[in-house]
Amino acid sequence: MKTTTPTVYIVDDEHAIRDSLALMIAQENIPVMAFESAQAFLEACPQECSGCAIIDYRMPEMDGLELQAELAKRDITIPIIFLTGHGNIPTSVKAMKAGAIDFLTKPVRREKLISVVVAAMMESEKTLAENASYKEAVRCIASLTEREYDVMLLAIQGHHNKDIARQLGISHRTVEIHKSNIMHKTGASHVLDLARIAHKSGLKE
Amino acid sequence: MCLVKGLFLAYPLQSLSFQTLFDAVADAMLLISDAGKVTEANAAALSLLGYTAQEIIGLPVEALIPQRYQAQHIKHRIKFAQNPEKRPMGSGNELSVLTKQGKELEVDIGLSPISHQEKPYTLITFYTVAKRKSVEQALRISEESLRLAKKAAGLVAFDFDADLKMRDANEQLLAYWGAEPDHTEKNNSTVLPMIHPDDSAIRASAIRHATDPLGNGELKVEYRIINQATGDLRWISAIGRAHFRDGRATRLLGVVRDITEQKVIEKKLQDQHAETETLFAKEVATQTASAIAHEINQPLTAISAYSEVALHALKQKVIDSASLKRALEGCVAQAQRAGSSLHELLSFLHKGEMTREQLDINSVVKEAFLVAKSYGYSDFHPVLQLENNIRPVLGNKTQVLKILVNLLRNAVEAMREAEIASSEISVTVRTNANINMAHVTVQDVGPGLNHEVAKHIFEPFFTTKPKGIGMGLAISRTLAEANGGQLWLDPDVKVGATFHFTLPFSP
Repeated sequence: MKTTTPTVYIVDDEHAIRDSLALMIAQENIPVMAFESAQAFLEACPQECSGCAIIDYRMPEMDGLELQAELAKRDITIPIIFLTGHGNIPTSVKAMKAGAIDFLTKPVRREKLISVVVAAMMESEKTLAENASYKEAVRCIASLTEREYDVMLLAIQGHHNKDIARQLGISHRTVEIHKSNIMHKTGASHVLDLARIAHKSGLKE
Repeated sequence: MCLVKGLFLAYPLQSLSFQTLFDAVADAMLLISDAGKVTEANAAALSLLGYTAQEIIGLPVEALIPQRYQAQHIKHRIKFAQNPEKRPMGSGNELSVLTKQGKELEVDIGLSPISHQEKPYTLITFYTVAKRKSVEQALRISEESLRLAKKAAGLVAFDFDADLKMRDANEQLLAYWGAEPDHTEKNNSTVLPMIHPDDSAIRASAIRHATDPLGNGELKVEYRIINQATGDLRWISAIGRAHFRDGRATRLLGVVRDITEQKVIEKKLQDQHAETETLFAKEVATQTASAIAHEINQPLTAISAYSEVALHALKQKVIDSASLKRALEGCVAQAQRAGSSLHELLSFLHKGEMTREQLDINSVVKEAFLVAKSYGYSDFHPVLQLENNIRPVLGNKTQVLKILVNLLRNAVEAMREAEIASSEISVTVRTNANINMAHVTVQDVGPGLNHEVAKHIFEPFFTTKPKGIGMGLAISRTLAEANGGQLWLDPDVKVGATFHFTLPFSP
């Protein structure tokens, strides 16, 4: 699966703030990119982006909260750190509920910013890994034929081949061929492994 | 005279003289010849019309009628002579007779044709008794309806004589005031103790004004009374008119009305107005402060980050001089930017407010009292000492008004807070020859300001009032300075707070 280099994306309409924060993050040897508006960031950021976004809460045209909503709409799951000049509680709560990882009040100390950025990047990595295995599981399950899917459902419920054959009204031999194909397509080594993949893909017993 | 006597000769009471009977009739009677001349008049007629018998006999009947009806009357009389019958005259219309003294009297009249020795006469009867009764009846009805109307409107009448003594004992009025209804002597001094001490001067001055022969005689005053029985405080509105005779007020008539409810509503409205104003002022202050905060916080954020970048660059084994240079340049540029943002903001806030004109400072002071009153700050006695013919000052009228209203408002609020009974604000306007400026002093009789408060009083957002935002004096001082003057607190005065401000004279 294709992934991009984890990067810190800074979105702020103030040049000096973009510039100074980018310098600070670059000093930690973390890749950093800066954008002067929400639109510029949306245009440039790849679907599979990772790392974190530091977004100014108050921007002309599309503001921070709107950008957060737009990212969610596009299924871009990058952690967001909001920067605010006047961190008032109700908007912070709203942003946090929408999945912001932190809320920093300007001016922000280096120590604080770097620690939040590092935490956000770790969170991003975790989310991305989870996402990847979820997507892989979904892909595996989706590759099964209708009959293989039925066999799999019964198999992960612990039914023996004989039972499955009787229930589906097919021969014992046919069940064995289906099962072999299922194990091959999903890469599962045994039935328990298959159950784990099925569960990860969102299947409920 | 013997003409009419003959009429009665055939009756049994011959011995009773005609004149005795004629004079005994309570209603006034006249006998008129066909030529329209008076031939007989009874005692009641003489008394009613003010003539002696000698004077009235032979007078044309038109002489007893007001001039404007005379021509008409002659026509009616000739018509009546052609078709004489007994009937009331005027049938429903008001009729008037003219006395010898020139006074017009309203009367009802009956006409009876009488023939004697083939000559026609007319007996006129003035029904004065019936008339008086009907007038009395009408008066009673009118008084009753007036009484009901007054009751419905919550009005109580008063009627004082020249010595401010009640002309008739008005128990209702006294009960209204909570006085003992059995006071024997009902005069002005009976009610004086009931009037709120703060308002007695206002009421006395209004009465003096109304009873001044040179004035228009109108009385219109509002004052508080304290019910002596219950201790209740009520607001009273008195409206009346003085009557004058020989250049002297002889009577003061009018009505009083309880306007306490109205005053309560007015007060509530004023409070709401003040509250809205405060909220609005707070909102403006918040918005302004927020704009300033943003303008300063943005460069500060960058400066802080650049500085930390520079520190970090210095701490490396090999100093990262490229980053260090970029960060320090950023710091300088951002500090400069913060400064110019502030200057721009200040010049924006001051923009467009400074049109200065020639002002009569005395009339601006008077206007400020009206404005303060309209904001609900009128519960004080203004004491004005204005220098006559002071030179015009140069200033922005709105801003100068704002300074004065702010000072008046502070004074009233301070005195209200301290619950000072007879609160007084004196405003002095004079020429300060030392600095050649107009000098205005506003002094209250409140608790004054302690040393600690006085030190901070002009600082923005400093306030001693629970609901204030602490911008009033800061703004006032800025406005005084913007108009070329100064505003300061008098440090020496021990009674109340005293503020001074100066304004330049127009060149």
